[in-house]
Formats: sequence, structure tokens, C-alpha cells
Amino acid sequence: MLADLLQNSLDGLTAGAAYALFALGFTLIFGVLRRANLAYGPAIMFGCYAATWTHLNFGAGLLLLAVITLAGAVLAGAYVERLCFAPHRGGSAIAAMVASFALWMQFEELATIVMPHHLYAFPALYDGPPLALGPFTLRIDGLVMLATAIAACVLLWWILYRSRFGLAVRAVIEQPTAASLAGINAPRVFVRVFALASALGGIAGYLVVASHGQITPMLGMWSTLKGLLAMMLGGLGSLPGAVLGGLALGLIEAHSQWYFGPQWRDLIAYLLLFVLLAARVPWMTTRSAS
Amino acid sequence: MSLLGVQDVVTAYGKIEALKGVSLDVAQGSITCLLGPNGAGKTTLMMSIAGILKPKRGRIVFEGQSIAGTPPHAIVAKGVALVPENRLVFAAMTVLENLQAGAYQRADQKSVGEDIERMFTRFPRLKERAGQQAGTLSGGEQQMLAVARALMSRPKLLLMDEPSLGLAPLVVEEIFRIVTELHQDGVSIFLVEQNAHMALKVAQHFYLMEQGKVTFSGDPGSLAEDEVIRRAYLGSAQA
Repeated sequence: MLADLLQNSLDGLTAGAAYALFALGFTLIFGVLRRANLAYGPAIMFGCYAATWTHLNFGAGLLLLAVITLAGAVLAGAYVERLCFAPHRGGSAIAAMVASFALWMQFEELATIVMPHHLYAFPALYDGPPLALGPFTLRIDGLVMLATAIAACVLLWWILYRSRFGLAVRAVIEQPTAASLAGINAPRVFVRVFALASALGGIAGYLVVASHGQITPMLGMWSTLKGLLAMMLGGLGSLPGAVLGGLALGLIEAHSQWYFGPQWRDLIAYLLLFVLLAARVPWMTTRSAS
Repeated sequence: MSLLGVQDVVTAYGKIEALKGVSLDVAQGSITCLLGPNGAGKTTLMMSIAGILKPKRGRIVFEGQSIAGTPPHAIVAKGVALVPENRLVFAAMTVLENLQAGAYQRADQKSVGEDIERMFTRFPRLKERAGQQAGTLSGGEQQMLAVARALMSRPKLLLMDEPSLGLAPLVVEEIFRIVTELHQDGVSIFLVEQNAHMALKVAQHFYLMEQGKVTFSGDPGSLAEDEVIRRAYLGSAQA
């Protein structure tokens, strides 16, 4: 009983680590632009598809695939910023969001035209048996996922709180006008934040696809939804909240699946979000991203 | 010699023109003051000079170069810094980080460090609170921080938008003492104020602005102070 609880929590945290990275990327973009970017997940899917395509045609190895995923996601993210968000700066939030929806469709169509099957195999991160530790089993790829996510969080923290670029990002998030008056080139910060957010998402996307061992065009919508859900659970616009929200979402899903069955898994996560939003819990109304 | 020249500037929010052809000059090495009632367009003018708002028409010339339409960060690079209305400090960042942000474009970290020390000498309260989040400072301290942050870019022209707004009389005196000190150090200052009495004491030249237009220009002695104050608060239209 207790062993099940712990095992599920462990599995939940592993999945949650990837959600946390999705949510961090989402939060960064939301923080600097105050805009929801629906093409965030599809840009990650683009990177993963680019890697899958390379693997199918040239049989590239795991590390190279990771690099291609990351590069593809960053490129696609910058494309989204230029096309959807740069033209609507200071303008309509709805127009920017709808434009990002159009790019989502673009990425999905491109994926299904170039690679028409619904499902493609992706080389697994680790093929061997899971690690047995007393009554618990630890998936090696899960551990890699957890360790990579922690490393990415530490790196992101360093960038935001210890580097010159991070100072600019925090200034733009908090007070865009004052940031410009301090001499910070805000439009340049926007593009770089998109690239950074897409890189985080690319890392998470790669880990998810490589641990599932397969990819479908649904990955785009899936990662947007997971990122959005985790971001909102943790409180819109808060970076530590994004990490906590991601981990919480992973835990909720793992336990719901165990106690109520897989068909209840997503429903319970959405239900919880609904209840928290309806109850207006305090942390959901905070807006600062620092 | 004119350091900043504003010529027939029109700035609009949508179809509403907040500046209806404003012309004025800020002389090199002067304290120039802009007075006028609420809604006269003083903040709009400051935002237009700093590049946050883009004028629809007219010229803004700094050191002989046209800067209208230039992005704000590039205007900072040319040597113009604005202390915005309501201070707009980075509340979640520390006092030290606020100062570092003000020096964002400067590459030489050694001289930036020296300037931060200089700010701490000029504003001892900021030194005491260096590691504290700026949002926890009092209004007066936040105003000092906003001034210090603007000075970190080493401006030749400092624009100040209502630095005394909402501050206690003693703090207001402190602010004006600093304005005078900065002026003695060679910084030219263009000051927007509601506190006409204090402003006229420090300024060499002043402009009155009403409903988007400059309606008077002169030296502090050229118009009776009570007349200036009346028009600065109420505008001549209501009189």
C-alpha cells in the first residue's frame, strides 16, 4: 500500500519533471509578453519531428538527435515570435494568440505531409531493464529525465539571476517601460526569451519522446496543454510556481491513474484546475514572474 | 547653447492629440522646468523625448542630432535618461540590481562598480538597503533609487517627471537639493513639476504648458509667482 504510494509518486515526479520544463518555457514567454503562445508545443513537436526524420533517413545517434531536436525547436520558436508576436507588440493580445493558433496548424500540417503515418518510432533513451531497489523499480530513462530537468532548472536559475541577460529579462518582465528607459533593448530580449523557452521545451520534448519511444503529430497539442495546465496550477507567471505546478501535475496524474484508472487521469487534473480557479486560491492571482 | 530642441511636436493617442505642436529648448548646463496642470501633456512630452512614445509630427533634436522615432534604448545610449513619473523601480529586484540595470549598456564593469559606490555616497540610504528588494523601500527612497538608476547611464541630460509626487515636504526638499547638486556636477536637467514654488527656486528657465501647447516661457522672475502657480495648477482657461 505504502510502497504503491511511493512508487506512484516517484513515477509522477519523473513525468512531472518534463511538465515543469514545458511550464517554465511557457511562463517565460507569458512573463515577458503577457501573451499565451499556442504554437509553443507545436514548435517543440517540429524539433522532435526534425530529429525523427533525420533518424529515419540517416540513422543518427541519440546525442545528435537531442541536438537536432533542440535546434529545431529554437528555430521554430524564433519563427513563431517573428510571425505572431513581433508584429502585434503593444497591440492586440487576441490577434497574437490567434496567429499562434494558425502556426500550430502549419506545424501539424507540415509534419503530416512530410511524414504521413500517424505514429513513428523514436530511438529509446534506454532499452535495458529497470533498476530494482527493494520493492521499487526505477526506470533509467526516468532518472535521466529527472536529472536533466534539475540541471536545466539550475542553468535557467543561473541565467536569470546571475547573468547580464537575466537581469534584462527580469527587468522586462517586471516593468517593460522602465527597462527600455534603463537602456535595455526590449525587442531583442523578446526574441532571445523565445529561443530560451523553446530550448527548455525542446529538452523536455526530446526526453518525453525518447522515453515513450514513439512520436505522433499530437505531441504539439499535448505539450501545449501540459505546459499550460502546469503553469496555471503553479500560479500564472511565477517561475518557481511553474516547477511546482509541473511536479504537482505529474503526481496528480500518476495517482489518479493508479486509483481510478487511465481514463480518469486527465479528467481529474482538469477538474482540479477548475476547482482551484473557481475557488480563486491566492497563488493563482499573483502576476510577478520573479 | 541648446542641448535639446523640441520643434512643433505632435503626439497622439489614437485620434486624440495630447501634444498639439510643442516647441521648446533646454540649454546646455541649465535646469529647465516645465509646469502645467494635470492633463496638459507634460508626461506625454517626456515619453516622446525618451522614445517611449513616437511623435506623429515634429522634430526632437539632441546635440544637433534628430532623435524622434529612435527606440528608447538608443536614446539612452546618446546620453538622455528619464526618471519616469511614479518612479517605476523594479520592485522585485534588489536596490543593487536596479542600479546595475541602469548601467545595462555600459561594458566597463569596473567603472560601473565605481559609479555604484558614488551613488551610495550620494544616497546613503540606498547603501543601507543595497540587498533589499526595491519594492520594500519608502516612496522617498524609491524616488532616490529611480534617480540613481537613471544616473547610472551617465546621462548628459536628465529628464525628471514629477520627482516630488506624493512625497512628504522634507523629502521633497531633499530631492530638490539633489537636483541642484547634480546640476553643479554638470548634468543638464529638464524637470516636470507640479510643485511650482520649489521648481522656480532651482530653475533658470521655465515653460508653462496648457492643453498640449506651450503658453508661456520665461525666467523665474518674469511672471509673478502666484500667477505661475495659478496657471500651473488650474490652467488659464478655467481662470
